[in-house]
Amino acid sequence: MGLRKTSTNIALPDENVENENREVPRDFTQLKFQILSLEPSERRWAARDLGNHPEGVPILLETLETETVVPVLDAIFTSLQKHPTHECVNGLIRFLSSEDASVRNNAIEVLQSMPNALETHILSLLNHPDSDVRIFAIDILQQLVHQNAPEWLKSVLLDETHVNVVATAVDRIVEIGDSSILPTLERVAQRFAQHDYIQFAVNTAIERIKEDTYA
Amino acid sequence: MKKILIIDDALTVRMYHKQLMEQLGFVVEEAVNGLEALEKIQDFQPDACLVDVNMPKMDGYRFIKELRNDEALRHIPCIMISTEAEQHDKEKAYAAGANFYIVKPAKVDELQNISRLIAGAA
Repeated sequence: MGLRKTSTNIALPDENVENENREVPRDFTQLKFQILSLEPSERRWAARDLGNHPEGVPILLETLETETVVPVLDAIFTSLQKHPTHECVNGLIRFLSSEDASVRNNAIEVLQSMPNALETHILSLLNHPDSDVRIFAIDILQQLVHQNAPEWLKSVLLDETHVNVVATAVDRIVEIGDSSILPTLERVAQRFAQHDYIQFAVNTAIERIKEDTYA
Repeated sequence: MKKILIIDDALTVRMYHKQLMEQLGFVVEEAVNGLEALEKIQDFQPDACLVDVNMPKMDGYRFIKELRNDEALRHIPCIMISTEAEQHDKEKAYAAGANFYIVKPAKVDELQNISRLIAGAA
């Protein structure tokens, strides 16, 4: 996990009121400087406006490394969401290892909105050496609108050896799987026959999928 | 009867722990993240909280810190439950204000021992 100060939720002036009084220029060169301002409200505006410039993506990603004020962080993630590119996905992936839950969860949410750009990265995330990152990759899959998402989760159920990663996959497959996944779940139960929790999770998942299927 | 608040974003985990804690004689309330837990805790007034680490909106560390900053709630014991078994993860949990630290998936005897301690202290 990377070193990073935890984010701080401070109140900033109302956006609409501030917009009326805003007299600073919005060209790209100025925005690059404004995002370094000591004033959080200026940084928030710069983060928001940089979202209109594709070349602003690396600056926004770099700012994420040090920014700690929640409204500024929110503006950065909103702006990054406008650019579902490989560059953006690559940059966001490293924040899955952030110590700051708020940053990590925002990165997960933005990545969930970029199914096409994420496609080529998902297998490496599901095979990441850090089991927590593998769990976060499964969290991404849960809300990822991609036709391969159930297949990717199935591969975790079949091949993953870390009990907590498998447990997360069993929990999440209920949301996106159908009755075709039931034999795979039974194999998970066999592979982890000594783990009470996995037995419970598999039985619960099977029950919930059957309920959804025959409801 | 003793009361426990189970805080975890995974439904299956909550169901599993709920079943175990009810078998141990606890009344259980659930929350899906730290933020919802802070809303529910005022009314529920639990004797203990079972807190996951990684959750959306508010994680377990932040929840416990918020709890410890509240004069009326700071006495409530917190059991942090995590996928991480490393020493520095335990230290981080204790630094945040956790009273106990257990590694997922929780074992019945571990929860049993801790619940006895909580019941004895409450």
